[in-house]
Amino acid sequence: MPTLSGRCYESFLGKAVLQGGIKSTVITFDISQWRAWAPGLVTPADWQAWAQGSRHSCSEAASPDVSFLPAMQRRRLSNLARMAFAVGWPLAEGYEALPLVFASRHGETPRTFAILSDLADQQPLSPTQFSLSVHNAIIGLWSILRGETSEMTAIAAAGDGLEQGLLEAAALLAEGAPAVLLILCEELPPAVYDAWVDDVPFAYALGLLVTPGQQWQLSPGPAATQSLPPALPHALSWLQATLRGVNCFTHTWKRRSWTWQRQP
Amino acid sequence: MSDPQQDLNRDLKQLIIDALGLEDIGVDDIDDQQPLFGDGLGLDSVDALELGLAIQKRYGIKIDADAKDTRNHFSSVAALAAFVTARNAA
Repeated sequence: MPTLSGRCYESFLGKAVLQGGIKSTVITFDISQWRAWAPGLVTPADWQAWAQGSRHSCSEAASPDVSFLPAMQRRRLSNLARMAFAVGWPLAEGYEALPLVFASRHGETPRTFAILSDLADQQPLSPTQFSLSVHNAIIGLWSILRGETSEMTAIAAAGDGLEQGLLEAAALLAEGAPAVLLILCEELPPAVYDAWVDDVPFAYALGLLVTPGQQWQLSPGPAATQSLPPALPHALSWLQATLRGVNCFTHTWKRRSWTWQRQP
Repeated sequence: MSDPQQDLNRDLKQLIIDALGLEDIGVDDIDDQQPLFGDGLGLDSVDALELGLAIQKRYGIKIDADAKDTRNHFSSVAALAAFVTARNAA
């Protein structure tokens, strides 16, 4: 994780607590707005029904509507980028400068697989595919299309990208940003990865507008025991808990445990 | 009766649309003389590389990205057609 300097810990993340004998930190923030997208889950009402347990049809449009962008600008956006833009764009509305944290565990797997396939077939590589396959390509496109020059970070942080991204966002808030946009998204990887990738139930994107405040408290700590993989990716689990009105929950990823608390 | 020159122009336009993922644009929207880069169709340097690769694959023509006249060959559909015709005849 870049840019999380000791200074930030001192000035903002400072509230140290003892958890299981290990010194840990607490960050607090507000989540002023959120947007989410998945095939068949587009409106807040769709997500509310999903959170209450109703089944949704993944067969609907596999790509979100980004017609707010001109066609010449849309053409380089992969499905992953379209999802990121669809949830992020409305949240950035009205902000002249908005730092962005982009988190995806698997990134542009369809692009990288296409490149690897061309390599295996000894075909020349597509310059477009190559330039857009890197993990920070989406934030680069975001910067170009919005004329946004604020600090932006792309992270790939295993299963707890949500929390690692919030740590990053909290550090940016501590440096004085009035708000930070956090975008989490995962694309369904090509079928060839099925044996290795088991944490993407369906393609999804979640955008959070993170602002200074006390609404949420998040603290990392060691997991008590080696835990089972979570039933849902953390981003979707957070959304489900939020929509169900759950005020306290824990996300555990391997040896790291994150305790979430919302001021009732 | 179809005109081979017009057919080639049309093929090149379709190649540009397919290779560069141009949405909402058809072959009839691209003029033979229209500049492809900058203020014309609005293509950029990554497009130039991608288009070079597509032409290489489709017509078996090796393109030297550093050659002085490459820029001219890529200026419009008509220029590209002339370039492809000349190289195929060579």
